[in-house]
Parts: sequence; structure tokens; C-alpha cells
Amino acid sequence: MVAEKHKPVKEGCIFNIQRYTIHDGPGIRTEIFLKGCPLRCRWCSNPESISLHPEIGVYASRCIGISKCGYCLKVCPESENGAITVKEDRVTEIDRNICNGCLQCADACPSNALTVWGKKMNISEIMTVILSDTDFYAKSGGGVTISGGEPLLQWNFTIELLKECMAKNIHTCIETTLNIQTEVMLQVLPYADMIITDIKHMDSSKHREYTGSSNDLILKNMVAIADKNKPLIIRVPVIPEHNDADENIHATADFIKGELGNRVKQVQLLPYKQLGVEKYTSLGRDYPMNYFNPPEREIWEKNIKRIAAILQSYGIPAVPGTGAKTS
Amino acid sequence: MNLTDSSIENTIKPLPVEPAEKDWGVGVNAMGDTHSPFPRVNRFRRFVIDSEFTVDHERACLVTEAYKKYSDSPQIIKCAQALAHVLHNVTIRILPDELIVGEMAAPMKAAPIFPEHSYSWVIDEIKNHPWEKRLHDNYYITRKSKNKLFGIEDFWKGQSIDEKISSMMSEDEKKGSNLERNLYLLNLYMFAGIGHLQLNYEKLFALGYGGIKETVKKKMAELDQSNPENLRKRDFYRAELIVLEAASDYLRRYAALARDMAKKEKNREWKEILLKVSENCDWVSEDRPRTFWEALQLLFMATTITLIETNGHSVSFGRFDQYMFPFYSADIKSGAATRESIQELIEILYMKDIWWTKLRDRMTVIANSGRGMGGDSLTIGGVDKEGEDATNDLTYMCLDALAHTRWGTPWLAVRWHENTPRELKIKTANVIRIGTGQPKIFNDQAAIPASLLSGRSLEDSRNYHVVGCVEIDAGGKEYGWHDAAYFSIAKVFELAINNGRCLGCGSHCMRWERCGGLGKRLGPETGSLADFTLFNQVLDSYDKQMKYWVDQMIAGIEIMDRVHQEMKPLPYLSALINGCIEKGVDVTAGGAVYNFTGPQAVGVGAVADGMSTIKQLVFEEKKVSGREILNACESNWVGYEPLYALVNSDKVHHYGNDDDYADSLAKFAADTYCKHVENRPNARGGKYLPGVYSVSANVALGLVQWASPEGRKALEPVSDCVGAVHTLVRAHDVNGPTAMVNSVSKLDHIRAGNGTLLNMKFSPSAVSGDVGRDNFISLIDTYFNRKGMHCQFNVISRETLEDAMKHPENYRDLVVRVAGYSAVFVELSKPLQYDIMGRTELSFD
Ligand code: SF4
Ligand code: SF4
Repeated sequence: MVAEKHKPVKEGCIFNIQRYTIHDGPGIRTEIFLKGCPLRCRWCSNPESISLHPEIGVYASRCIGISKCGYCLKVCPESENGAITVKEDRVTEIDRNICNGCLQCADACPSNALTVWGKKMNISEIMTVILSDTDFYAKSGGGVTISGGEPLLQWNFTIELLKECMAKNIHTCIETTLNIQTEVMLQVLPYADMIITDIKHMDSSKHREYTGSSNDLILKNMVAIADKNKPLIIRVPVIPEHNDADENIHATADFIKGELGNRVKQVQLLPYKQLGVEKYTSLGRDYPMNYFNPPEREIWEKNIKRIAAILQSYGIPAVPGTGAKTS
Repeated sequence: MNLTDSSIENTIKPLPVEPAEKDWGVGVNAMGDTHSPFPRVNRFRRFVIDSEFTVDHERACLVTEAYKKYSDSPQIIKCAQALAHVLHNVTIRILPDELIVGEMAAPMKAAPIFPEHSYSWVIDEIKNHPWEKRLHDNYYITRKSKNKLFGIEDFWKGQSIDEKISSMMSEDEKKGSNLERNLYLLNLYMFAGIGHLQLNYEKLFALGYGGIKETVKKKMAELDQSNPENLRKRDFYRAELIVLEAASDYLRRYAALARDMAKKEKNREWKEILLKVSENCDWVSEDRPRTFWEALQLLFMATTITLIETNGHSVSFGRFDQYMFPFYSADIKSGAATRESIQELIEILYMKDIWWTKLRDRMTVIANSGRGMGGDSLTIGGVDKEGEDATNDLTYMCLDALAHTRWGTPWLAVRWHENTPRELKIKTANVIRIGTGQPKIFNDQAAIPASLLSGRSLEDSRNYHVVGCVEIDAGGKEYGWHDAAYFSIAKVFELAINNGRCLGCGSHCMRWERCGGLGKRLGPETGSLADFTLFNQVLDSYDKQMKYWVDQMIAGIEIMDRVHQEMKPLPYLSALINGCIEKGVDVTAGGAVYNFTGPQAVGVGAVADGMSTIKQLVFEEKKVSGREILNACESNWVGYEPLYALVNSDKVHHYGNDDDYADSLAKFAADTYCKHVENRPNARGGKYLPGVYSVSANVALGLVQWASPEGRKALEPVSDCVGAVHTLVRAHDVNGPTAMVNSVSKLDHIRAGNGTLLNMKFSPSAVSGDVGRDNFISLIDTYFNRKGMHCQFNVISRETLEDAMKHPENYRDLVVRVAGYSAVFVELSKPLQYDIMGRTELSFD
């Protein structure tokens, strides 16, 4: 398949803009989270990032009750058909097969019991937010990180946003799965100052088992980035009993050392935390790792330090967590 | 490290206490007993902390005796004799490990009583609301002390300052005050002394008590006694000599006691220390101190005597690292002391500070809880009088001392400026990350221009120190009345939208019989939201109410000022504030070089969000009518649940999110207050300086206000300091610290000459690691570049605070930032605990 050429797209679907993020790239940063993701990692803590389109989240506990409010039912064009489920006076669910996605209910809901994940925003709206923190970037050596989901699913938009930042001299990072056509990635690369990506598993079939996709493209793209000597941060989400066996760690080390020539700024080992469960519920989905009981803090801390030590023994700049400075 | 004396640099080894810094930890707080490398400090700390708070009668009885004996003397002589009588006769003690001695005319952690300020509540509370039964801030009092206090009850009937003030205030001035509707709180200076100042330690060190006495004698000799004007001055100088001699005597009494104790002491080390203490006290009773230890002894005693005289809190230490540096540097050079021994002395000073305590009346403690003296700020860092960086060894050592003692005392303030060394910033951040809420950071770039604007000279402005919680002050030259009042602009806003009437008016209100029940209004008729057709009418009405209430408050404050002048001159303090001896005028009567009055606005965030809600929902989107908003508040939001949710949601513009819509209203809310307060003249020849902060008065002021349009339910705290609104359901600032900082920087901090304060709460994870630390520093730097005046931090997780509320027994040592100061969390009142917990936690995971 021949990759398309970049066409400027000025509007994207964003699910969050977080100011003062300090762990995704150097300094104080504004992080733009784009919707849409090609992977389905079991440990994903942002299920609202997966779909490319805005979705309704339902937080039943915040609902005031339809006897006092009921605004959503009044505006919903599909309420007669049962789009909105009410139990014991509260809105508890939306039937996503009936719902037409008009979002009017969330707009009417005063309590954020119905909330929209995802919002179309254009470049200039986003830049207004970005530019209000330029002093902080300057002082701290920070900038902007575009994350997701997978920011390269909306790559035409991402390029435009990066260009705009570049024009304002703002340092940029993209946090990507790299599970994207190499030709697309290569078109985006020149506009980003730093890349943050994950190695989730070295074994392709395991990778597919845990994320729904093989790692072939990801690793290939990583090599391409290293070849260009683009500043690269690699993260390994350490999921006990999934990818923390010695064998996989050594394979990871071999890959970084061998294929990437150790051209990484840092390898960060992130602990698994059971986060985002309530977001799954709000979307009417089950948390995929319900079967798993995370270990106690001391245990995972020790585990992460052990893995860091293995990687360090290869001369790889590995650190536990994201609290250590990159350079 | 930036040493001003390069010859020392070579002689100094790195401090052995330094490696501890690596393990200071993040959010670990004061739990534990071994933070200091000095066993004496750890021992002394535990001993002091574990001792009980009590109330002592001796000062009250001695003052009463003197007032009787000198009943026909001029007031200033009577007051001087009263202080002298206390210093000559009060019981004194020296306890183990006290390297510097001195007590506040009462045993350690015992509150003396000041009947000349207010007394009826003391008797009332002994009889009807025993201090030992208080839910928090409790004190024990012996049967003997109680009886002694009953014994002087009759003498003070109708004779205290508070009664005089109350009798002089008009109905209009009273109705908004703490005596009635609590729109503004004048409690502090109505029931106690003024404080909020720094003694001129530099002068004291340069002259000693002996030298000051000489100056006074000279001035007195120069007086033309035939000039009737000068009779007043002659009384003043006589009073000066009485109290200065008494101060010397007080030191000599401690010298004698130490000597006697040394004679009997078996332990050699302690015996030697006692002898040294005795020598120190003897020497500085008249002479200029020669060593760091002597200077520290003199400083502590001079400050303690001020507390005995004035009953004021926030008597601050000033720029300790600056005026102590010559002694430090000389001692190191001569070998008289080591850095370690000086470090230990500083830490003992910090712990001695816990000895001072102040008994507050039960109304005051509901919200202003905490038994510490309060306001004993100690300022370090900043620029010198020429504008150059003034950081020195002591700057760092004072921070180390805080990390080693981890209690709420003193209230350390670090001044940062454009050229503050990075090392100092790092150490400051490290200490903050421990989690005791200390130190607070001040911005020279905002404080110096603000001080200039207030009328202080450039040199004095550069030399500012921090008094009490927030206020900038020209140490040793100023009587700033910095804590004159807390004024609820949130309540003013309520009256502004309801035609001068309170929302939630009913028979529960203490003014019901004179006001509500008679169908009268509290404030002037400035229109109702139910009738306004344009948003500008809301702003207009707010402006008019503001003028009216500021007028009432200022009239009340001026009465207090006059009564203090007449009834309670302060001859001892006058000796140590520049200008008084020179002019022959007591400090209460305008003797100081600078004289200000600083009342604070409380509730900027609340007014901003209230205005924003009305502007958006009533006048722009027309989703509700003005009448409905009023009804919703009247009914405490019951029956208006969707509106309540909406007002508290991010669908409405809120202050604190870097959103000009609401932020510009916050600026208007604060500016309107400042406009009506600034530059008014006061009774001491100075002028008013507005401040915008609440300390914890936002809790007290909230407890007397019904529901309000920003989505606050009845009796909840109003928004704190310059922070955003946080209600029961939700904090209104949701965009993180940079947005908060941007919003706050839109206010005019330089105009608020009496100070502003931004409280921020971080979860430990948000500031951990080098990354957390460095970005935290950058955040503060940026706030300061934008002329923010002052910020302070809590680094304790919400979970910890919740657990501490559930299991207070496990958290006896948990010290947190309240506002302007730190206090033991489990000893705070419940409303204040909730208020602290509710401040938005700025977290990243
Ligand atoms: S999104 Fe539209 S159709 Fe779906 S539940 Fe809401 S209002 Fe009804
Ligand atoms: S609009 Fe929101 S609060 Fe109201 S009934 Fe629907 S879900 Fe509940």
C-alpha cells in the first residue's frame, strides 16, 4: 500500500488537554490527547481514547435523578426508543445500539452525569490553550506533547499542530504506539523534537494476545527513528505475569542495544496500576484485566528495580518511573 | 553557596548534617523523632511537644496589683509600671536543654492572661465553657489559678479595652462587625493586642539595653520642660526608662537563677551550659552582644518581653539570616563557635518558639484554631539594601533547621528574587516537599514595588521582612496594624444582589429583633438581582455596597486604634521601633517611622464565580432568572438541584482556570475593595493598605453566611485567600496549577499592599523526583515573573488527611499548612480540617 501524501487538516478530535504535565517529555508541558487508537492493550487506562469519535460517558452516581431533573430524556431524540436507561430514578446506561450519537443529552445534563469524551477542536483553539503557558515552557525547558490514543491516526491534523508549535518555537514531543504505516510516520517525524513510545512485548504473538496487534510494525518504526537519531524515549509498561519475565527483558535489551544501537535518551519502566476502571464502566464496557490482582507496592517496586538493573547491565539508560531527568 | 565573607569560605567544612537532605523524602511530614542530627534538639523537641497547654494567672494578678498601685499615674507610666512589676516578680524557671532562656511571664506552654485587653470572656469561659473541655485548642487550668482569676474579676469590670471599644461604636458600625452580623471581623484587635511587627534587633544589638537607656536619657535632658507639649514626651521617656531597666532586671534574674542551678548541678555538661547561660544573660542585660549565642539570647528575651507587654501575636523575627550573620561570621573566624554549634542553637530557638502560646476566646478558635503564638515569622534570603543577592550560610542553615525540627514554628518565609541562587531554590523546594507546609515563598519582584507604592523608602522596601502570615513590613521601623480586619466581600456581594438584605434572613440571626424581624435591611438599598436588567447593574450595586461597608469597617477600626492609644501605650515596644524615641511619641500614637492599617478582603473567588454565574446564566444564556437565583440561595438550593449542579459544573465560567471571563470579574471584585480602602488616613498619621487573603477567616465568615450563587451551600467556607472556589461537590479550578497561576496573576498584587496569598496543594507524587522538584521550581519562578506576591504549599495526600481525621491518635505529629502558617492537623477544628482537605489537589497520576 502506498502511503498518502499529507493534506492539511485543521480540525481534530481531542479527548483531553492537560496542562502542567511533567512526566511526558522534559519540563512543564501541555499535553494534547487525540482520540483514536489502533491497539487494544488490556491494561489501557484510557478506554475513552480508543474510538475516533466523540462518545457519551455515563456516571450514574452523579445523576440528580430524573424526577428532579430529567433534562436528558427531554432532549434525546431516541429516548422513546429506550436510548437512555433509567434505574431507581437515575440514568445508569446508554444503549449504544439505539443512541444516534447526537450528544444532546450530555449538553443538557447539568451534573456531568452524562459527559462527552471527545471534542472537535481546531488548531487555533488548541493553540490558544498552548500559548497561555509559554512562560512555563520557557522557564522549565518544556513544551507540548501530543499523545492519544494514537496521535498518528489523525496524522494530517497532528502535522498541522506540530507545524504551528514549531512556528512558535515550542518544543514538541509525540507519544505514539508507532503502530502506524512507516511512510506516514516518516512524514510526521521531521516536525517533532522528541518521540516517546512503548515496547510492550518483544514476542510478536504475545504482543498480539495482549494488544490485539503484532509488534512488527512498531519495532520496524522504532529502528527507523533510531537510524535518524531522533531523540527517543522508550517506555516499558511492566505488567506482572504478562511481560516481566527475564526472557522478555533480555530480548528487550538485545533489541535496544542491537537494533537501535542504544540510541535512546532513556528507557522508563512504568508500574502497572489498575486505573480507569470507572471510565470503562461509564462507557458500558468491562475492564479487560478484571482477572488480574495487582501485587503490593513493595513487590512491584522491587520488580521494577530488578528489571532496571538488568537493562542497565547492558548499558541501557533505564530508570524506574518517569521522575528522573532525561539529560 | 554565596558567602559574603570570602575569608570564611576556606575555613568552613561542609556541614555534617547535609547528607540527611537526601532522605528528607516527599510528603513524609513531621512524623518521627530523630530528624535533627543533634540529640539535644530531638530530646527537647519531644519534651516540649508532649507537654500540656495550660493557662496561668500570675501575669494577670501582677498587672492588677500594679494598676491599683499606680491608679493615679499617667496611663503610660501605669502601663510601664505594670510591665516592670511583672518582670520583677513573676516566677521564672529554667528547664533542661534550654540553651537560651526566657518565658512569657508564664511557664512553658502556659498562656498568660491580659485583663487590660479583655476579661469578661475569660471569666465566662471558666464558668460556662471550660477550656479543658474544648473539642480542640484545649487548655488545662488549676483550681488555684481559677480562683486567682475570679479574684480580680471585679476590678476589671468595664475597664478593658474591648468594653471601651464596644461602647464607642455606633449601631451602624457594630451591625456588620463580629459583635453582630460578622461581615467583617475585628476580633483580633478588639480582644487582644496588635503585634504584627518586628523589633529593631539591629539597633538593640548595636546599642544594648544600656545604650538605649543612654539615648533616652539624652533625649529627656534635651527637652524644654516649660513647653506644655513636652510634658507628654517627658512621661514617655520616663516610661521608657522604667521598662528598659525592668528588661535588664528580667535578664539578671535569669542569670542569677542559672548561676544558682549550676552550683547544685551534678551533670558536668549541663552545669557548664548553665554557667554559660548565666554569663550570657548577665552580659546582655546591659551590653551589646559579642557572640551569636549572646545575640540569640538577647533576641529571644527582647521578643518575649514584647509578648508579655503587648498581647499581640505575629511578633516576627525579621531577616534573621541578615542581622545574625555578623555574629556568625565573627564566631567562625575567632573559633568561638562552630557551624554545628550555631546550627544547634538555631534549632533550639525554633523549639523555644513553641513555648509561646496564646489563649483565644471560643468564638475566635472556631475558625482561627491553633494554640501557637502565631505569626512568629522568620524571613531569610532576598536582596540586600543595595538590591544584590543577600543569601548567606545562615539562609541555608535556617532551612536545614526547619527540616530538622519539623514543627509549625517559626513561620519561615524565604524571599526569592531574580538572582536567587539555584541551590537555595532547590533547598527550599526540598523542605517544602517534606510536607509540613513550610516554608512560604515571597517574591521580591512583587513585594518591593508593592512596598514602594505603599510609601516606604527604596532601602526599607528592599529590606522588607514578612510579618505574620502574609504581610510585608519594614522591620523595626513600622507599626503596621497588619491584621486589622477580615472583611467578607462575599457577604457584600450577597447584599449587593439582594437590595441590602441578607439571604437566609430568619429568627436564627442575632440581629433578627432589630433588623430582619422588623422588615429592615442590613445594608443600603442598592437594588435586587430580581429587578436588574443589565449585568452592569450588578457591578454597580456591588460597588455601592462596598463603599458603605468599608466606611463602617474603617470607622470601627479607627475607634479601636484610638482606644489602644489611650488605654494601652506600649513603652517597651516603643524603645525598639525606630522613630518613637526620636520623636518622643509612643508607638501606639504614631511614633513609628511607618504607620499603616491593613484590613483584608476575603472571598475573591466566591464573588468572581457568583458574578460569572449571574452574567452567563441570567444575562447571556437567560437559562434562569435573577429571581430564581435568589430563591435558590434562599432555599439553600433545595428544590433547585439541577441549577446547583450546573453552577458547580464546568459549563459555567469559573475563576482559577485561566479563563478571562471569570478572571476579569475576580480582578473587579478585588479592585473594588482595594479602591475603597487604599490611601485612607489612619489615627497614627499613616494610611490604609488593603490586603487580599483570608488566612482561615474564610471558614469563620462562611459559618455565618447563607447559601450563595457560586454554588456554595449555607455555612460552607467561602473561597480562601486568592484561591478558587471549592464547594461540597466540586473544586471549581480544574485546569491545574499553571492555569491557576495564570488566573491569580491577573489580579493586581502590587496594589494589595498588605499582601496576597496563593495556597496550593500538591500530591506527593506531583513533586517527587528531580523532575517533580525542578518543574515545581519553574512553576513558582513563572508565577513570580508575573508578579505574584506569595505562595505556599501543602504536600500531603488527601488520603493521609482523611486517615488522620479517622484516626487522629496516629497523627499527633502531622503538621500541615493552614494559610500563612502551619499547624498540627488533628488539633484543628473540623470545619478547618475539611477546608484544607478541599483545596484542590494538583496531581498528575
Ligand atoms: S447522544 Fe443523543 S441519542 Fe444518544 S442518548 Fe444522548 S441524546 Fe439520546
Ligand atoms: S440530565 Fe443528567 S442529571 Fe439530569 S437526569 Fe439526565 S443524567 Fe441525570
